[in-house]
Amino acid sequence: MSENIVNTASEIVENAQLAAAEFHQYNQEKTDHIVEAVFRAGFKNRVKLAKMAQEETGMGLWEHKVIKNVLGTQLIYESIKNEKTVGVISSDTRTGIIEIAQPLGPIFAVIPVTNPTSTTMFKILICLKSRNPIIISAHRGAAKSCIETVRICYEAALEAGAPEDCIQIIPSGNRELTQLIMAHPKIALILATGGTNLVKAAYSSGNPAIGVGPGNVPVFIDESADIQFAVKSIISSKTFDNGTICASEQAVVVMHSIKKQVIKEFEKQQCYFLTPEEIKKIEKIAIDEKSMSMSPSVVGQPVAFIAQKAGITVPEGTLILLAQLNGIGKDFPLSTEVLAPILAFYSAVDYNTAVNMCIDLNYLGGIGHSACIYSNDEKRILEYSELMNAGRVLVNTPTSQGAVGYFFNNLAPSLTLGCGTGGKNITTENITAKNLLNIQRICRRMPNEMWFSYDLSKYLDESQDIDIILKDYYKNH
Amino acid sequence: MVIFNNNTEEKIITAKFTGRMDTIAALKLNEMIQDNLQIKDGKTDMKIIFDLGEVDYIASSFIRICVSTAKQAGAGMFSIVNCQPFIKKTFKISGLDSILNVS
Repeated sequence: MSENIVNTASEIVENAQLAAAEFHQYNQEKTDHIVEAVFRAGFKNRVKLAKMAQEETGMGLWEHKVIKNVLGTQLIYESIKNEKTVGVISSDTRTGIIEIAQPLGPIFAVIPVTNPTSTTMFKILICLKSRNPIIISAHRGAAKSCIETVRICYEAALEAGAPEDCIQIIPSGNRELTQLIMAHPKIALILATGGTNLVKAAYSSGNPAIGVGPGNVPVFIDESADIQFAVKSIISSKTFDNGTICASEQAVVVMHSIKKQVIKEFEKQQCYFLTPEEIKKIEKIAIDEKSMSMSPSVVGQPVAFIAQKAGITVPEGTLILLAQLNGIGKDFPLSTEVLAPILAFYSAVDYNTAVNMCIDLNYLGGIGHSACIYSNDEKRILEYSELMNAGRVLVNTPTSQGAVGYFFNNLAPSLTLGCGTGGKNITTENITAKNLLNIQRICRRMPNEMWFSYDLSKYLDESQDIDIILKDYYKNH
Repeated sequence: MVIFNNNTEEKIITAKFTGRMDTIAALKLNEMIQDNLQIKDGKTDMKIIFDLGEVDYIASSFIRICVSTAKQAGAGMFSIVNCQPFIKKTFKISGLDSILNVS
């Protein structure tokens, strides 16, 4: 490892640490002023940045990336603008506990190629709101648009009085530099959004991390669902930005009883069911045989491009390719995550078999992420939800737009979705500014009378029966 | 903003700062410090003390001035005294409190 890189890493982190020192002195009003200025600057450039990201990455649709940029600016801002993130944030006279918000320190944020500008603005806003300096590492495939996003946000932040170096971006494509910063002892937290290897690297760094990796979202369409509505909803989600959101649907599971109806509805709504031969051709271009992970060349591409690449002919205007599969796992490559308008399709003899398939899909690389059910049976909705290992179970909702919050539910708007311990996260929440704070608690003395009125010597007597102790302990005196 | 006290007998220069040491203040201070601390060619043989007893805010650029002054003064020849607790914590967060000998 060259000395230059080590020095560069140290310099970047030291700059961030100095910014952290200055930032902690800011009050709520000054902090909010900066956040608003950055939101306005990012929002103003939402179209330009969306077009830049689409042109640079060749992924998705710029119109949809505008929506993502709106989520990453306006909707995030609206959700955090009234939050208290400085000083006393709550005071409860009943419990005697006062909560104080403290910043974490320098945050290292890794940005995915699939949502580069929106995720950059989102992470910058939640870091600034929590008075944490941010160091951004852009994917090399989206470096230009990320640099421009950072420039716009940083200039607005400085203009509003933010500390120097509160937002930095490191040169992309330098793995050594990324690893050095990730593992730097002065980094307070890593916000890693990206592929499995990146998330693993974040967790191996020795620093606290919130890493969001792949999902493999199963969608169960129950017999009680409105099929036409369900299919329309799935299509609107899976075609959103050509399927680049990691919470997008990956497999549809139905029971034999409604299989024909569902297929007919998908076909009616411009989707195409691949033949077994065509499935093989799509598998070859969509999934890397060795790593069993999706091929970057199909990520965020429209059906026409994918079909042409695979050498198959599909009806013009086809929105989604569906692959009827007989199994789940490495022998069925399309049962894994593909961030493109390709969906696996399964049918099961009965409800239990269908739910078991969803469990298998959920555990095949998407543990802790998201799952979905279309149903009007409350009992089944609850049962299904309890069986999934997913931070979010979306009900009768498009998962791309549902999991990120705001549009279809009251989840916090976010472009970093906590995946719980299944995804090696400490939380299943949608990450937002409040997750980037150390909450200190001032605890007033409020002695527990029950404890202090009890004869504690009874605990020392091994012969005391547990039920007698409990009865005595809770007895009113 | 800053008053210098030169004790030539003991070879100690004390710089007593007052108010907010924000980015603009730091810009102005940089030159004054170089002139008044008898730093020539990046070196000095005087012991330098920054008294921050009446400082209630420090920008990162002011911390940078402290670091560069400490480097020029040499090991054990620079210290920061009388910090208010809030400013002491700021130096702790910067991770430079030991290098700057903050008491």
